[in-house]
Amino acid sequence: MTDEDAALLEELRDMWMTYDPPPPGLVATMIAAVAAADLDAEWEMLTLVRDSRDEPAAQVRGLATSRILYFTAAEGWSLDAELDEGQVRGQLLDFDGDLGAVEVVVETTDGQSWTTRLDEVGFFALVAEPTGSVRFTVRDGDRSVTSRWIDL
Amino acid sequence: MDELVATMTPILWHVVRAYGHDRQAAEDVIQATWLGFVRLHRTIEDPQAVASWLITSARRGAAAHARAARRATPVQDETLHAVLPDAESAEASAVRDDEAARLWGAVASVDERCRKLLRVVAFMDRPDYQSISQDLDMPVGSIGPTRARCLAKVRTALMKGGER
Repeated sequence: MTDEDAALLEELRDMWMTYDPPPPGLVATMIAAVAAADLDAEWEMLTLVRDSRDEPAAQVRGLATSRILYFTAAEGWSLDAELDEGQVRGQLLDFDGDLGAVEVVVETTDGQSWTTRLDEVGFFALVAEPTGSVRFTVRDGDRSVTSRWIDL
Repeated sequence: MDELVATMTPILWHVVRAYGHDRQAAEDVIQATWLGFVRLHRTIEDPQAVASWLITSARRGAAAHARAARRATPVQDETLHAVLPDAESAEASAVRDDEAARLWGAVASVDERCRKLLRVVAFMDRPDYQSISQDLDMPVGSIGPTRARCLAKVRTALMKGGER
């Protein structure tokens, strides 16, 4: 490109920046959209696929005090969790990685949080009695996936 | 991430507006570009490639949106649609800056293809001729010469419009 052309192109760039600038709120809107999309992406990564509350047969058998949740992750592994009488127990299944490095976090909307590691076959057990809404996070090093909030 | 969004959003604005979209449509295309990026950004490892990916994706989104809009309103004069918002804003600001207004008038008088090419190229540090050529339906080898011709047209229009 000749210097003359480069100079004119530069003038044109200034002109467009001056006369048709992005709307004032555009950057803020996009930052918010990206942040929201990031959150959605995390939620979707640990998806609730089975909930004992949606299975009337369990209640008939008198298991109404326990709640069994079954999640799957996009990577192919799954998390089984049972909430019963002051305990949250479960197992990470088909996880392709070092089970010893994995942490399971149980959180409630009122700010309570319990964290535990897995044993060598992927089991975990927490003394915890979450109330209200609960969500699960599985953390593996700097990677973590979280479920949506689930009403108890 | 916020920094990247703050840096690239204004550039995407100019790229998408080059396709003649109104402000709302431009905003929609830019948002779709960012959402696409969020879905894929783990696979884009080279930071240099990120800007190029965003611009390419925004241009494709803008081109696709333009095609959809044309299908929806086949009688709409595409060129008029592309010029109107700019022309209005040029008129409004003519009082403030005569020189830039003359430049604006000159750009508005060249054909749409030239306008589009110049605006996209003006905001790309390293223009990706391969994908521009697909969008604008020009052979890759002709983009450099076409850009020079388009700049010459702007220069001629400026001279017709007054001394320069």
